[in-house]
Amino acid sequence: MLTVSVKWQKEVFKSVEIDTSQPPYVFKCQLYDLTGVPPERQKIMVKGGLLKDDADWSTVGVKQGQKLMMMGTADEVVNAPEKGPVFMEDLPEEEQVASLGHSAGLFNLGNTCYMNSTVQCLHSVPELKSALLTYSHSGRSNDLDQTSHMLTVATRDLFNELDKSVKPVAPMQFWMVLRKKYPQFSQLHNGVFMQQDAEECWTQLLYTLSQSLQSPGSSVNVDTVKDIFGIELASRIHCQESGEESSETESTYSLKCHISQEVNHLHEGLKHGLKSELEKASPALGRSAIYFKESRINGLPRYLTIQFVRFFWKRESNQKAKILRKVDYPLELDVYDLCSDELRKRLEGPRQVLRDEEGKKLGLKANEKSSSSKDGDVKTTDAEGLSNAGGESSAATSQEGVPAGKETCLTGVYDLVAVLTHKGRSADSGHYVAWVKQENGKWIEFDDDNPIPQREEDIVKLSGGGDWHMAYICMYKARTISM
Amino acid sequence: MSDPKNDAGTSQPKAPAKDPKKKEEEDLSEEDLALKQQLELYVERVQDSDPGLQKVALESMRHEIRTSTSSMTSVPKPLKFLRPHYGTLKAFYETMPDSDLKKYLSDILSVLALTMSAEGERESLKYRLLGSEGDIGSWGHEYVRNLAGEISQEYVKRQSEEAPIEDLMELVQQIVSFHMKHNAEPEAVDLLMEVEDLDLLVEHVDKTNFKRTCLYLTSAARYLPGPDDMLVLDIAYTIYLKFEEFASALQIALSLDNMQHVRQVFTSCDILLKKMQFCYILARHGITFELDDEMVADDDDREALQDIINNTKLSESYLTLARDIEVMEPKSPEDIYKAHLLDGRASAGASVDSARQNLAATFVNAFVNAGFGQDKLMTAPADSSIGGSTGNWLFKNKEHGKTSAAASLGMILLWDVDSGLAQIDKYFHSNDNHVIAGALLGVGIVNCGVKNDCDPALALLSEYISKEDSSVRIGAIMGLGIAYAGAQNEQIRSSLTPILNDAKAPLDVIAFTAISLGLIYVGSCNEEVAQAIIFALMDRSESELGEPLTRFLPLALGLLYLGKQESVEATAEVSKTFNEKIRKYCDMTLLSCAYAGTGNVLKVQNLLGHCAQHLEKGETHQGPAVLGIAMVAMAEELGLDMSIRSLEHLLQYGEQNIRRAVPLALGLLCISNPKVNVMDTLSRLSHDSDSEVAMAAVISLGLIGAGTNNARIAGMLRNLSSYYYKDASLLFCVRIAQGLVHLGKGLLTLNPYHSDRFLLSPTALAGLVTMLHACLDMKAMVLGKYHYVLYFIVLAMQPRMLMTVDENLKPLSVPVRVGQAVDVVGQAGRPKTITGFQTHSTPVLLAAGDRAELATEKYIPLSPILEGHVILKENPEYREDS
Repeated sequence: MLTVSVKWQKEVFKSVEIDTSQPPYVFKCQLYDLTGVPPERQKIMVKGGLLKDDADWSTVGVKQGQKLMMMGTADEVVNAPEKGPVFMEDLPEEEQVASLGHSAGLFNLGNTCYMNSTVQCLHSVPELKSALLTYSHSGRSNDLDQTSHMLTVATRDLFNELDKSVKPVAPMQFWMVLRKKYPQFSQLHNGVFMQQDAEECWTQLLYTLSQSLQSPGSSVNVDTVKDIFGIELASRIHCQESGEESSETESTYSLKCHISQEVNHLHEGLKHGLKSELEKASPALGRSAIYFKESRINGLPRYLTIQFVRFFWKRESNQKAKILRKVDYPLELDVYDLCSDELRKRLEGPRQVLRDEEGKKLGLKANEKSSSSKDGDVKTTDAEGLSNAGGESSAATSQEGVPAGKETCLTGVYDLVAVLTHKGRSADSGHYVAWVKQENGKWIEFDDDNPIPQREEDIVKLSGGGDWHMAYICMYKARTISM
Repeated sequence: MSDPKNDAGTSQPKAPAKDPKKKEEEDLSEEDLALKQQLELYVERVQDSDPGLQKVALESMRHEIRTSTSSMTSVPKPLKFLRPHYGTLKAFYETMPDSDLKKYLSDILSVLALTMSAEGERESLKYRLLGSEGDIGSWGHEYVRNLAGEISQEYVKRQSEEAPIEDLMELVQQIVSFHMKHNAEPEAVDLLMEVEDLDLLVEHVDKTNFKRTCLYLTSAARYLPGPDDMLVLDIAYTIYLKFEEFASALQIALSLDNMQHVRQVFTSCDILLKKMQFCYILARHGITFELDDEMVADDDDREALQDIINNTKLSESYLTLARDIEVMEPKSPEDIYKAHLLDGRASAGASVDSARQNLAATFVNAFVNAGFGQDKLMTAPADSSIGGSTGNWLFKNKEHGKTSAAASLGMILLWDVDSGLAQIDKYFHSNDNHVIAGALLGVGIVNCGVKNDCDPALALLSEYISKEDSSVRIGAIMGLGIAYAGAQNEQIRSSLTPILNDAKAPLDVIAFTAISLGLIYVGSCNEEVAQAIIFALMDRSESELGEPLTRFLPLALGLLYLGKQESVEATAEVSKTFNEKIRKYCDMTLLSCAYAGTGNVLKVQNLLGHCAQHLEKGETHQGPAVLGIAMVAMAEELGLDMSIRSLEHLLQYGEQNIRRAVPLALGLLCISNPKVNVMDTLSRLSHDSDSEVAMAAVISLGLIGAGTNNARIAGMLRNLSSYYYKDASLLFCVRIAQGLVHLGKGLLTLNPYHSDRFLLSPTALAGLVTMLHACLDMKAMVLGKYHYVLYFIVLAMQPRMLMTVDENLKPLSVPVRVGQAVDVVGQAGRPKTITGFQTHSTPVLLAAGDRAELATEKYIPLSPILEGHVILKENPEYREDS
């Protein structure tokens, strides 16, 4: 009979007796009583070796009073979870994109940053993407020319590719077709392709798409692009001399923000851009006279495009020179006061709902904070607001006669989703870059093949006033509510 | 007494030499004039035929000289006035018959020769030897110094002529004893080194000057070539032993790597408390040492001492330090990445786990929480709020990643064998081979530097080394290598060497076996292990020699001779017969390992020479050569700075394979010592267009900042993490580096040098070198499936603390001053040893280049160097100030 001490984790069991006539398994059972570790999980270390269950004590050579060490726990054995985690490295490339949080960049094919940035901005419009997806190769209507068809197909393919890859994409096919359709983009200068105006590219591309994406099947000629980007303007043309007045409506894809001395903010520029003077023959006077044209928005798009008129033709230098003036633009744009009366009426209802919703959010927070002493004030103002709002909204709904069931309504409030900026002194030189808000709310700067994450507060800093990138085209997305 | 300080005297030396003598005489003061005439009279009298008169004249002359030689700021007057008569006296001396008088004159001539003898004539010495052999010091310090200089010249001459030197040695005796008595120990040592008879020193040192003498000896040893340095250290050891300064003697014994001396220290000292301190020093050095009853008679005492050597309580002290500094709270990788400080970048979408980033997080978590016993990924209970959401972290790693994840548990529980083994146990029963491999490796890591009577690591791992699955085998083998580094364990050797020559064993198993053997037998020059590795190398086929893992075989061979200098030569000869593909690589590795930590300038030049060649055939030996420069030159500050400069040149002119190794070499030179200039260089290289250079630079940024929490490096790495957020490989390196910078939350160091940069821990260096060699091919090793080679740095991990303990080895808090160390070698008096200090109470952290001293008289430290564990004894003479 030997006595040994056994160390197990931080505990020491002194004077454990070993019956040397029994196999070590018996000893392990003794230890099981002490530690609760089942014998098969026990590892007993005896001077550089493990004690085997069937070993002979005499060969093990345990001495009286020797210290043994035991390892083992009664813990549960760790098993791999049924469903292992999915690793990004194992995913197919398309799914890696989703986890990356943004789509791929586009290679510069030689002064094609104007095109790359335009494509990146338009690519961020999901409605356009889905419209393109329905466009098929064969579905070409007869009135569409071959090149437009090819450009549409190329756009669709390029958008697809951007969505699928992690690595930058080279838009070869698209570029070729674009140049074929619009030969002005193949202008050479010293043997290389010239830098072009991104706005021209944007307008032309949208024009082509609007041509090709008109769904031929339906009786009404639905213009998808117009539906997404089209702005209805109602203008009143007025001649001061003769007192003649006429009105006309037109449709456009972008609002212009004119930049003059007085313009410091996008809103001012837009107002400016909606007023113009024109000279035309006055039937009353029998000569040409100055007419004033004042436009109001009569129909809002889902995506509002605003072009900063930064470039003007400078005769002396024979190029499109740039106005560097700083014009601020907001992340949230409200165009309500640019709308026509008719449209305003239509907007009031949804706007009220939107305001209520936001008020609720803020109100909740305010309630948490507000102290009891102010309660009275708050209530009275609230009550006033509510009564007013109630009256208006009921009026609006009754007038409009909105059918039952939910419908998404525009509110005239827009959120910034993409900015196309230009850096440099003239439209045909410098560098174009697209800054696009991703679906996860993060901003990415697409500098050709290099997507760089950016902070939202840096986006509004692209307002000009220096030689840094400044906004040239802004795209706002309508904030809608369902009613 | 003459007056050298009067006006004439001070202005005199400035007078143009061409001045006519007459004018000079005019300028002399009356007093000087009298002295001059007096001396001239003596000179005349000396030549008189009457011996009585001669004697009087000589004695007067001698008196004049003696009384004026006290200062040498200007030539003493008597010497100056006697100058024109030197020739006359010399001529007369030759004509004199042998007599006492002649000896008398000889003495005077010897002194006169001090200023008048022509360069290289050594007349001072000549006349001294012919003279009366009287008290040498009576002629002043300057005379003795001059004489010493001439002796060393004469000695060289006589050695080449094989002439007898007895007379010289007698003089040396006198000079040494004079110097030692007059606070001029460096001069005495210098002279003895010139005449190659340092043994003389032992009888001349006394209680007042032995410390300064030994300090001079030990620091001089760093700059001495070949066997001389050993000799010098040996003398220092003897002196320390003679004055019972045992702790210092032990340090020298360790730097000589002489176990006989270590034994002697133990047997010579009979104070138990001091022996405990020795054990702490041995434990920090990381060597395996068995006490026997001759060294410590009492069984219980011996056990207690052996426990200290075995580092059994290291974990406990480390946690005491952590509690004192209040860093016990576990940190998650996110706390280290600090992504919120980066603007909007990085972490663009973390919706899907990336295997590589999770692996990086595993390592970061292991490094940061190393030794703390708790973390937020591995040890956190699965059902807690944090653990519940992340699930079991182990399985968030992919395949071989699980090996590193399971092994990281060993790192977290580092040094705490008892709870470490308990926590790792459950992974042994896993049905996934990668997990088992990790558990085995984890057992090795837990036991790193800690020895235990029951040898749990050996008991647990040995049955796995011959398993079927090669990842399990590698886990067990590498675990053994880490747990028993430096142990020279026979049992392990006999079970590992057969694997090396097993034709069926896969290359990776062989490579890791070799490295483990190299670590276990580090610096041992063991023949059998060397043979086994050599055979393994010869058995490799041409294609296998090209594999990145093969580099471990020559490295393992080199580790056997780590720091052993000439002992490597036989093996180096054998390496010449190797296949051409590996021959040069092997040469470089052997050379750099053998001379690692010696500061041998010739070897550095040799290695630089190899790097200067422009290779065409894609050979790989320049990588280890560059690392070798760092390994050799890291020994002392001066060489270190010089090699940093040389590496800059290599960066500019070297080929790509050299440029890839340079950052790693810089990392080794400044390990855990973030020098600003190196930091800037590495920061520049981390943006290099060659991604391998950039990766090496990033890892090295981590190495130089290892365990410092250096805010500047942390900031650099943070910016790099956003710069490289798209490049998974570089991002991985950045993460590893971030983990290293926060190693042990800033409580650990990787520096293999300790004890005031005097001692080099061989196992620590071996671990670092292995890891760096693996980093030479980043893509195949660290970024491939052998990322666990990163765990080799555990061998170099040590707390960078000063922990003072009382006589019962319980932590004792005392005020200490911590400041920048000052080099006081060769300075007279008791100079300040630190500057710019702050007063803290122990335990404290010591940064690179820091030194501590007690700020209280109440205790006496038992170790001369306040680092690691220091036992304090109460000062019996201490009086409390009322």
